Amino acid sequence: MFKKFEELIHSGLQSKMKKNMILIGSLVAFLLSMMMFPAEIVLAKMLPGKNNATFNIYVDLPEGSSIQQTQRVSECVVSYIQKEKEVLDIEVFLGMGSPLDFAGLIKGSHFKMTENLAEVVINLTKTHDRDEPSYMMVQRIRPTIQKNCEAIIPKTHIKFVEPPSGPPTLAAVVAEIYGNSDKGIRHLAEHVEKIFKNTEGLVDIDIMQDAIYDKYEIKANSIKIARSGLNLKQVNDILYLAFEGMGIAVKNSVEYNDQIPIFLTLSDETKKFTNKDKTAVRNKLSSLRLMNQRGMMVPVTEVVDIVSVKSNPMIMSKNLHKMTNVLAETDMVSQVYPLIDAKSQIIEQLANEYDITTVGLFNLKFKEKSSGETYLLLWDGEMEVTLDTFVDLGGAFIAALILIFLLLVIYYKSFVLSGIVLLGSFLSIIGVVVGHWVMDLFTADTFFLTATSLIGFIALIGISSRNSLLLIDFTKSLIQDKGMHKTDAIAYASATRAKPIFLTAAAIILASTLLASDAVFGGLGVALIFGTIAAVIASLMIVPVLLHNSDLDKHFGFVERKSVDIDNPDHFV
Amino acid sequence: MKTKNYVPKDSAGKLAKGFIRNPLTAVLGVFLLIIGYLALEVMPREENPQMVVSGSTVIIAMPGATAKEIEQVIVKPLERKLKEVKGVEHIFGSSMDNFGVVNVAFFIGEEKENSNLKIYDKIMQNKDLFPKTAMNPTILPLDIDIDIPIVSVAFFATDKNMAPTTLFDYAKEIQHHINGLDNVAVTDLKGGHKHQYNILVDLHKLSGYNLSMGQIAQAVQSVAYNVPDVKNRTKENEIIMVGVKNAIEDEKDIANIIVAQYMGAAIYLKDIATVEDSYDKQNFKSALVSVKDENGKFSPLQEQVTLTVSKLQGTNAVIIADEVKEELLHYKEEMAKHGISYVITRNDGERANEAVNELVFHLVLSIVIIAILLTVVLGWRESLIVTFTVPAILAITLFVAYLTGQTINRITLFAFLLSLGLLVDAAIIVIENIHRHYHDVDAADRDPDELMIEATDEIGPPTNIATLAIILTMVPMAFVGGMMGQFMKPIPANVPVSLIASLFVAYIFTPYLAVRLLKKPEHHNGGEK
Repeated sequence: MFKKFEELIHSGLQSKMKKNMILIGSLVAFLLSMMMFPAEIVLAKMLPGKNNATFNIYVDLPEGSSIQQTQRVSECVVSYIQKEKEVLDIEVFLGMGSPLDFAGLIKGSHFKMTENLAEVVINLTKTHDRDEPSYMMVQRIRPTIQKNCEAIIPKTHIKFVEPPSGPPTLAAVVAEIYGNSDKGIRHLAEHVEKIFKNTEGLVDIDIMQDAIYDKYEIKANSIKIARSGLNLKQVNDILYLAFEGMGIAVKNSVEYNDQIPIFLTLSDETKKFTNKDKTAVRNKLSSLRLMNQRGMMVPVTEVVDIVSVKSNPMIMSKNLHKMTNVLAETDMVSQVYPLIDAKSQIIEQLANEYDITTVGLFNLKFKEKSSGETYLLLWDGEMEVTLDTFVDLGGAFIAALILIFLLLVIYYKSFVLSGIVLLGSFLSIIGVVVGHWVMDLFTADTFFLTATSLIGFIALIGISSRNSLLLIDFTKSLIQDKGMHKTDAIAYASATRAKPIFLTAAAIILASTLLASDAVFGGLGVALIFGTIAAVIASLMIVPVLLHNSDLDKHFGFVERKSVDIDNPDHFV
Repeated sequence: MKTKNYVPKDSAGKLAKGFIRNPLTAVLGVFLLIIGYLALEVMPREENPQMVVSGSTVIIAMPGATAKEIEQVIVKPLERKLKEVKGVEHIFGSSMDNFGVVNVAFFIGEEKENSNLKIYDKIMQNKDLFPKTAMNPTILPLDIDIDIPIVSVAFFATDKNMAPTTLFDYAKEIQHHINGLDNVAVTDLKGGHKHQYNILVDLHKLSGYNLSMGQIAQAVQSVAYNVPDVKNRTKENEIIMVGVKNAIEDEKDIANIIVAQYMGAAIYLKDIATVEDSYDKQNFKSALVSVKDENGKFSPLQEQVTLTVSKLQGTNAVIIADEVKEELLHYKEEMAKHGISYVITRNDGERANEAVNELVFHLVLSIVIIAILLTVVLGWRESLIVTFTVPAILAITLFVAYLTGQTINRITLFAFLLSLGLLVDAAIIVIENIHRHYHDVDAADRDPDELMIEATDEIGPPTNIATLAIILTMVPMAFVGGMMGQFMKPIPANVPVSLIASLFVAYIFTPYLAVRLLKKPEHHNGGEK
């Protein structure tokens, strides 16, 4: 079998046309595979989703909502979850975050402490006993739940949070909007939010800013307070005591671990305002009285003014610059492509209001036409991590190439030979790209080129350079020690080395098949399987051709000796 | 033409020569397998690799200040000061009514203790920067290991009439027991309600009696006073202790407090308010649970208390989770008697163990597949030899990983799976060359030891260089920054080790086993020369 192969190579090496055909063919294959990226045939993503046994649902009501309203929305969410067969148990945490996890740590779940927030934890059956992966389930139930439960209280956001398969991020797409004016940032953020909502592939869109709601401010009138023989502290305390309540004393206890507080407040029935009107507030306050220094009772309404105002939203900053985030998750697609879509939509739709320029790769700079204020939109979240990771891995890849090149130069003392080995290894990228395309054709959901694919590719460089190395080394010993001719030596070496090359390649492919089925490391597996196939072809077809084209005789100090039998070079005729 | 005593040129041949007749080689092999197995058992197991993430949250409250005021006098100066700290990547500030929060995130990989200290130091040095009315800053350092619980348990009442505080008290009891287990760092309770006496004043009655809330507060405070026992002496200087009984023993005592006198008639607290021995009603936080029963139907949402357990850094999640589970089983019956049931809602130990076991299974499966392949191509003896080298190499790698303080997690095992394809190569190349030389016609009359050493020596240099090349591809990966770099650190940390180990094992054990296992083929046409 290897004999035939030897003849094939031998004849191939002797025809100039065939040699050129091989070289041109591999160049075309390389260019075609590279074209798959801009053509979006092979899609890139940092890490694909993984099948989890648990996921969370964050219920965010607008600021100023009560815990009862939050509970109503959460109960709605739970009622849909309870219809799912694969759910084992459901926990609801009202007014606080669920027990902290990896995702929650970055998303700030441990800082939740207001009445308008809740988290729902859903535990599913074990991943092995379940046909539907968790990410498919989330994709399926998300529209129903959002449609029916977000409507209960307007401006509610229900977000689905799955444990990340890699490092956690704030969200898949984060648009940080910087600027100097609070109002301007808010306005621009709302524009961006609207565009995100119309971008395909983006879900769970939210602005990280407090909603502004109506509230009443009770302004103490200091003149009236002084005249009534009261003091300001007394007024404030009583108001707080009446409506919020306060622990006024404690009782020690032997039974329990804590002291038992004695808590004073108005009873629920009499505390509640009849409605949201200002008069209702006034009426309620008028029945609340204070005792002055002279022992006379003064109604609170006598000494305060009730003013209706807007709430003060939270002011956020990052690295000392005022900022608001617009967040979005992706619905089982890579965040890269929706982000690019959203970016071009922003440029298109907001052109009337702002002069927009692109800064760097994706970031945008806005100049408001009416006021001249400038704003900056920086992408963060998974996009930032993806870019960083791909850039770093790309750097690692280049560094690996240089290191291998230097190593080979030291070993062979020849730039040409080292170059051939590297070129042969580099061609395995064709296999990696095509492999991802093939896998994408055969899998139900998108098969992404991920960070793990890149790791696989970097490892491949080493693996395929080993193939070429063994080949060249053997050729070298044939030429140097046995005095064989170049063509014969290359053909014989290729045929002899083909067996261990095939064997090691088969070992790598077989060891990687199990990797390929994993959600996260599938990319690595596929890269190794298809890359190795490409590497074998490269080292057995292209490397011999390249070797033959180079001046091997000079490199290996070829000395013509006795003629050698091609079939059996160890035996002199 | 061939010398009787082959002198190896490369370290490969030297190693082969040194070990091929050494009786300790077998001992070394067994020893390697044992330390590898021990490392596999002893090493802590986790689902995700440990990341060095440092950060702190600083909270400063200033009651009564608006968001804008907080921004100006607290958040902005604080941000500026924290920017002076070295190693800080991002500073996030948020100003709200009444308080400001500043989050400091260090670069990934910055050491935790040091970073925390820097932040603490910076804030303490600049305490005078904050306004007088601001409260003391609260600094909450981020600690991934302690902050993220590995086990959570939801306790809920099966007895519908149970008072809300009973569940909490019971969970607190269990919490104490679980906190006592080895390597448990922090336990916490979420949800549930604490005991509290509530005085709920009826506003209408209050105004009817013409009273103020302040009067009620004063009246209660004046009786709710605890004093230590009074010590006195008799005339003979004997000590007599006089205990002063607390005025408030239960809710009835509170209800009977006289709030005011009106025309000589006392107004009791119970006249204007309901007093109940109840729970902290002002605490709006609560946790609910719904579990599936045997019939597959969900129970309606009901109150629960969640106990969370986190572990110390570098300890084995699997063992701790199992211990917690066992401890809970211990109290299960007693809880059932009280009408309390529980469900484990998070078990990272189990999850880690499953992930690890699945990957170990994959590893074994891959080894078997490769063994079958080699049996077909090279023969079963050769296959057996290569198959032995795999556990030996993995054992060395595991042991080195254990020595360098790594844990077994998803990524470590993927590093192993990745290296599996690479590490059999050295052995395959050696055995293939031995096989080729062995089946060569002139091999018939040569010493097998000699042949082994020569075959090993021959492919030594290219194999060394090739392996070095693969190691070099892995090295730059160690310099990938950020979370992702931390996350995949086990790959550049373990793959090179396993590759180096694969060389040694291939040069030492492959010839050693080959010379004992392989049979020279009968060359029927041996005299063909």
